[in-house]
Amino acid sequence: MSAAEPGIGRTAALSAERLVRQPIIVALALIAALLVAGELLSPGFASGEQILRLLIVAALLGIVAAGQNLVILGGREGIDLSVGGVVSLSAIVAGNIMNGADAGIVPAILACVAIGGLFGLINGVGVTLLRIPPLVMTLGMLGVLQGLLVVVRQGIPSGNAAPALSGFVTQPFLLGLPGIIWLWIGIGAFMAFLLRRTVFGHRIYAIGSNEHAAAMAGVPVRLMRVSLFILSGMFAAIAGICLLGYSGQSFANVGEQYMLPSIIAVVFGGTPLSGGKGGYTGTMAGAVLLVILQSILTTINIDEAGRQIVFGATLLVLMLFYGRGRAMRG
Amino acid sequence: MAKLQVRGARKAYGATIALKRGDMVLESGEVHVLIGSNGSGKSTLCKIISGSVRPDAGEVIIDGRPVTVTGPQMARELGIGIFYQELSLAAHRTVAENISLARLPANAGVFVDHAAVGATAERYMAPFADVLGDGFAADTPVVKLRADQRQLVEIMKTLATEAPVLIFDEPTSALDSAQVERFFDVLRKLRGEGRSIIFISHRMDEIFAIGDRVTIMRDGETVTTMALSDADHDMVIRAMVGGQEALIATGNADDEGTRRTGKTILSVQNISGPGFSEISFSVAAGEIVGFGGLHGQGQSSVLRALFGASRRQAGTITLNGTPYTATAPRAAIRQGMAYISGDRGHDGVITDRPILENVTPVHFLRNRLTFAFPGRLRAAVLPALQALRTKYATLSHPISSLSGGNQQKIVIARWLTDPPQVLLLDDPTKGIDLATKTELFALIRELAEKGMAIILYSSEDSELLTNADRILVFSGGAIARELTGADRTRYNLYHAAYEAA
Repeated sequence: MSAAEPGIGRTAALSAERLVRQPIIVALALIAALLVAGELLSPGFASGEQILRLLIVAALLGIVAAGQNLVILGGREGIDLSVGGVVSLSAIVAGNIMNGADAGIVPAILACVAIGGLFGLINGVGVTLLRIPPLVMTLGMLGVLQGLLVVVRQGIPSGNAAPALSGFVTQPFLLGLPGIIWLWIGIGAFMAFLLRRTVFGHRIYAIGSNEHAAAMAGVPVRLMRVSLFILSGMFAAIAGICLLGYSGQSFANVGEQYMLPSIIAVVFGGTPLSGGKGGYTGTMAGAVLLVILQSILTTINIDEAGRQIVFGATLLVLMLFYGRGRAMRG
Repeated sequence: MAKLQVRGARKAYGATIALKRGDMVLESGEVHVLIGSNGSGKSTLCKIISGSVRPDAGEVIIDGRPVTVTGPQMARELGIGIFYQELSLAAHRTVAENISLARLPANAGVFVDHAAVGATAERYMAPFADVLGDGFAADTPVVKLRADQRQLVEIMKTLATEAPVLIFDEPTSALDSAQVERFFDVLRKLRGEGRSIIFISHRMDEIFAIGDRVTIMRDGETVTTMALSDADHDMVIRAMVGGQEALIATGNADDEGTRRTGKTILSVQNISGPGFSEISFSVAAGEIVGFGGLHGQGQSSVLRALFGASRRQAGTITLNGTPYTATAPRAAIRQGMAYISGDRGHDGVITDRPILENVTPVHFLRNRLTFAFPGRLRAAVLPALQALRTKYATLSHPISSLSGGNQQKIVIARWLTDPPQVLLLDDPTKGIDLATKTELFALIRELAEKGMAIILYSSEDSELLTNADRILVFSGGAIARELTGADRTRYNLYHAAYEAA
């Protein structure tokens, strides 16, 4: 524990240093650099239309990452590996309820959010009451969800998105931006308010920073942690519905591709895996960054396997940079 | 020539001086008792000898040669073996492996020689054969043993170092009298072989049963060394107290020592729990009740149980005449309890978060808030921060930017923003500079004047003597004696703590 008194000279130097070390600044700079690189590699990469498409894909990832972010902020090795499974299940359930009809949208949303929340609840109970480490608990849950998907798909045909849902995700809605972008902006505002202006948000940081001290100060630690997993399941479910709208039809395991990127986006955005600090604004930048990176990799003909390797390596490199702050705290 | 000598050893941790001037001379073939009250520096002195603490000044001389003990490894090479108060056993390894842990016999320098490990274990277990108790065997994993059995393993592990100098820091705290007797037999035999033993214990009877000489420490300094054959209990206690006998407690009492207090706020009847049993006492409005005695006699455990942070099994508690049953800190806080721990890092500070967020958690709960608007929160926390005279740049600065004393003030402000009915203070000034301590106790007395009921546990006896209206002296998880009025003297406090131990 440092006991340094803040001096004037030191404070100035500190803020300059902080600016450079602000993950969100780094992420924005990288976004710009990648867009330039993409444009050089393939003219038209940074066109308005293309950027809009990237933002839609980023919104899908960003919504999943919102829940992931909350779980990670709560600390104690908090992580949700089951988000991909929930996204897939949600897309299938939503497709079957809607089956191409707009009337099914509201029931589909209610059903999917409830299902996502239920799986989050089970994760949360496993982590808090049964004391199963989050990594193991949510990995096990991912396995359950994958098995469940196989069963579900055998029993029912893969459904279709309602036209209004597809329009919401892909067609311009307001100021030329599709509804999903506005939804994402709304989620961004909701997250910022939740984390900065509510007791719930302050308590997330408190349990992520020093769980024991938080409990001694009357924070309901278990209830908090369960809530975070529930929210993560709900966000993943919402993303699953949007994903259905994006692709029109649900495919097997469409959500699987979100597990690792949702974690990378959070870490890129400045929330360490140890939790307790960071926020969602950075995560949004991280999601955009990852989607651009993915797109560049596709542009230069790197296949899925190659992309996975790059993503995994990215997370490890990030750990190297952002992990240090934690190590210094001991 | 002395086997081991320490001259003018000094050690400070920041502003806190743990050891001012530590001197001791250890001869070959003696059991040398080291005694002193809480925080007198005896543990620091032992840590310097065993190399786990580097002194700021002074020297350690072994066999007439000045040495620099740079670490535990070095201490082992110099022939010093130490028994740690905090048990240092590998829980999932067997008794035999733990005994040989420091130097595992190996074949060809690589593979553990299990036969040799077993033989070593049998050799050190033999003297304790009839007091080992059920389920104790060389191949039992330590995790399956009882507390006293683990302590025996720790003793055997220390003995197995076969070091010429052995240091035992409270080795008998969990042992029964038969086990202690066997242990003393072993020590006597070692003494006969010319080995040197430093023995720390708070049990006066044990000290006189095994010790040859005693070195007494007080306030970080070596006071005197005397032969135990020429001394009695009273002499030892008086040397520990020193000339401070004249220091009569002041506290919230007038000249006759009578208290000016209001109605009973907290009443505790026969509560038991982990580390304490059958505790009864009451605290009135405006009263500061002190918990005294040696470290770890149940004082903290009682406070934590009152706060709902640990379980209690039996007994009844009433708060303002109504039953109090909080089983979690949340419930306790809602009913007006506050708990301030001296272990800031573990119980208090929310690392990395701004100062404001470190003050507000209790305010949220007490006022059942949903939203956290910084403007309103700042206004709510300012009075407490000002009363504590906390120094900080802005409330948005991380708490880690403050000094230790100011960090503790922030944590205390957390509990005073919405004044509680009962304030539980668990060694609240641990590791805090003197000026801040003085300020804090002035504030605590002020809170008592305003009618708060306060329980103060302090590991520094002078803090108790000067601030508490009554002192309950704890020993072995029970209240051994209550000191009130003019009885609140250092001598009485030590006498109650040591004679009961």
